[in-house]
This record gives sequence, C-alpha cells and structure tokens, in this order.
Amino acid sequence: MSAIQEDNDLVFHKICSLIEPINQKGLKLTRETDFIADLEAESVAVLDVVMEIEDNYDISIPMNVISEIKTIGELVDAIHEIKKQ
Amino acid sequence: MNLFDKFEDKAVVYNQLSDIGKNPFTVVMEEIISPTRAKIKGRETVLAGTHNYLGLTFQEEAIKAAQTALAEQGTGTTGSRFANGTFSGHRHLEEQLADYLGLGHCVVFSTGYQANLGAISALAHPGSDVILIDADCHACIYDGCQLSGAETIRFRHNSPESLDKRMARLDPELKGRLVCIEGMYSMFGDVAPIKEFAEVTHKHGGMLYVDEAHSFGVYGSTGRGCSEADDMMEHIDFYSGTFSKSLASIGGFVASRHKELEYLRFSSRPYMFTASPSPANIASATAALTAIRSKHEIRTKLWENVARLHGSIKQLGFTLAADPAPVISVLFPNREIAFAAWSFLLEQGVYVNLAIPPGTPNATSLLRLSVSAAHNGDDLDKIVAAYNGMAAQFVDAK
Ligand SMILES: Cc1ncc(COP(=O)(O)O)c(C=O)c1O
Repeated sequence: MSAIQEDNDLVFHKICSLIEPINQKGLKLTRETDFIADLEAESVAVLDVVMEIEDNYDISIPMNVISEIKTIGELVDAIHEIKKQ
Repeated sequence: MNLFDKFEDKAVVYNQLSDIGKNPFTVVMEEIISPTRAKIKGRETVLAGTHNYLGLTFQEEAIKAAQTALAEQGTGTTGSRFANGTFSGHRHLEEQLADYLGLGHCVVFSTGYQANLGAISALAHPGSDVILIDADCHACIYDGCQLSGAETIRFRHNSPESLDKRMARLDPELKGRLVCIEGMYSMFGDVAPIKEFAEVTHKHGGMLYVDEAHSFGVYGSTGRGCSEADDMMEHIDFYSGTFSKSLASIGGFVASRHKELEYLRFSSRPYMFTASPSPANIASATAALTAIRSKHEIRTKLWENVARLHGSIKQLGFTLAADPAPVISVLFPNREIAFAAWSFLLEQGVYVNLAIPPGTPNATSLLRLSVSAAHNGDDLDKIVAAYNGMAAQFVDAK
C-alpha cells in the first residue's frame, strides 16, 4: 500500500469516528456517504463536526470550502488538500 | 420536480401546526395594548417574547417626535441616500450615536440586518481578506460573509482560545482579518468575553467587529453595551447595532473609531441600493436614544425585573441557558416538549418565543423569555405564575 493510500485511510477512519455523533441512523460510512442525503444532518451540525476535525488536524477549513463538500470522501480530499499547503 | 419541492418537508409541519391553531410562527397580535400587553386570539396576553428591553415603544416623546417628523417630512424617503439624498435627520442621528458611543464615525442603515450585511460585505474581499466568526453569530453576519465572498472561518462560540488557534494558522500574506462577535447573544442570553477577544484579534493583526444588537442600551454603566461593560469601547474596531430593539424603531447602524468607515457610503451595496429609513423611524430612534442617555432609571428597572424573573424561574428547577440577562432561556429535552410548554404558556396568557433546531445553538430546544423595563408588578406576577404551572407539568419531562 502506498504511503498516500495509507494516509488516506487513516484520515478516512479518523473522520468516520468524528462523524459518528451525527450518524444517528447508524449507517455504515463510506467515502460516498452524503452528509445531507444519507445522514440527514442539518447543515449547522455538519459545521460543528468540521470544527472538531479542524482542531484534530490543526487546520482551518473555510465555510466556502465546506459548502461545496457533499460526501465524506470529498471531505477527506479537502483535508489532504489543505494539509499540503 | 419544481421550485416548490424543496419547501415540502417544512411545509408539512408548518401546516399541521396551523391547522391545530398553534403555529408559533403565525401568532397575530390583534391589538397592541401597551409595550407589554397585546390581544392574541381575543385574549389579553403578557408579552415576554419581544426585544422591547427598555419598553420604549410607547414613550411619549418618541411618539411625538415621530408624529412631528411624519407631518413635516412626509411618510417616506422614496429612495437611497447614495442616489436620492440624505435627510438632515439621518445625519443628526449619526452624530448623536457617534457622540454617545464616543466613536468618531457612524453610518445609519435601513435595518440592523442590512447594517451587518452592508458593513461586513464591504470590509472584507475575496482573496485578500479573511473573516472569522463566532459559531453562534446571527444569520445576518453569516449572510454578510457570504455576500462579501471572502474566505470565512468559524470558531467555537465564546472561545477566544479557538479564535487564537485559527488566527495563528492564517496565511501571513493575507491583508485583512475581520473578527465578528456579538455582545449578548439572543438565544441563550450569554455574553461574549470582549476583552479577551480584542486581545487575541489585535495580537494577530486583526480588527474586531462587535454586534451589540441586543446589548445596546442594556449593558454597561451608561448603556453602551457589553463593550462598555468590559471597558473596551476604545479598543474595538467596529460597533454595530439596531434601532429595532432597545431603540424601539426600525433601522440599524455601524460605528467606528476609524474614519475609513465613511467609505461604506460608496462601497456598501445594502447601504447604496435600498431606501433610507423613514423620517418617523429616525425621529423616534433619536428620541429613544435621548431617553437612554438621560434616564438611567429605565436600565435600573430592567435589571431589577431580570433579577426577579431569573431568580423565580431558577427556583422552579428549570435548566437555564445562562446567568441573569434580559433574555432568560429555559432548555427542554426536545422540540415536542418545548412546543407543548410554549403552547401551555400561551394558554396561560404569556407569550414567549419558541426556538427549535435547526438554527439554535447546539441544536437545543428552548423557550426564550425577554424581560422589559416596562413589565410592571402585575406582568411579572402573571409570568411567574405561568412558569409555576409549566414547572408542574414540564420540569421533569423527558
Ligand atoms: C444579533 C442580531 N444582529 C442583528 C439583528 C438584525 O436587526 P434588525 O431587526 O434591525 O434587522 C438581529 C435581530 O434580528 C440580531 O439578533
């Protein structure tokens, strides 16, 4: 497994554990899980989870970026993108 | 699929509530009897769900001033100050506010919503600037950020530490860093630690914007808000407020010690492209400001009422959202119980605000009671009696 793939998986698993509080229906989380359509999360709840994620990775994810994110996979990618900068 | 589909989920709930005649969002006040009483469904009801903190809506001088302005200047301005001209009343009120606040500059807008929308969107630009906002900021601050197009970062509510972390991460190349907070927050009645926020903001080269919509006229030894209470009037960069709460009119303003605030007059779209406040609105706000400056006893009365109500309600065993403040919020375990409690109070002749998710802090369900200096002994007795009855039914509801 490449280093990037491994890091991807780590971030994915970490994010899944941080998202658990808004996974009220107990769905199995995948990269394709959609925050609004699948988790039926309210947009403020998503923003609050993002603050947890920010503090965990010591990064800031601007609201303008968050508003474009629909799925867990997109969030993982956004975190990698910001960490690279 | 059509444009209306997206409303459906909410419309179902809304219509159900309307059908049983208990929709909090369609309550009609058929007759306004006084600052604290109205007829709702034919029944005289105590108003404890307003923003009439100082109870000035029927103040004699304010009504006279508005009547005179109406007779002398007409019903409306029919245009914006940018395109159609300023009335001397607009200027005069800006000078009065700047003088009262001890800030050199003030710009009046047509509502408080537009004041925040207009100032924030003009101050921050995409690419060069970033806005940092308290997670619990009012919708109009969020909307101002969106309209600006600038990168926007949320920090944890009332946490200067959370702000500090986020400012430390910012790109050093950025030009502007605008930090937005409020004084007293209207849902819980909790207050921002303005001094700590000012320190963190300025340490990182930012500017602090404080929306005192709910605290203007209420907090501070001379009523200048939470910024005055924290001795920070000379340190904050922007101060915004509304005429729609303690000033008992309609309109809003932004004040600043920075002379560049004047640039808003030719850069802020919500200032330039909407009609200016009407003469009657300006006149009554000006008169209410005079009352706030000269009649300290109104504020004293408000805080006496706050102490009495907060003390009585706390004793009943409810979970309260914050320390004594002109907003007293009782927290409930879920929407259904909050709604039942709200209906119970209205049946007892007391009108408060129901606040349920989405949009409430931490997705809480609460009943928000607002205290007024105009609440008299009888009003307070009725409120306490109704809360007593509510306690019997709802304190332990799960
Ligand atoms: C914090 C805050 N800012 C601004 C506003 C907007 O004020 P206005 O009613 O004058 O538009 C409100 C009230 O709705 C508010 O609660």
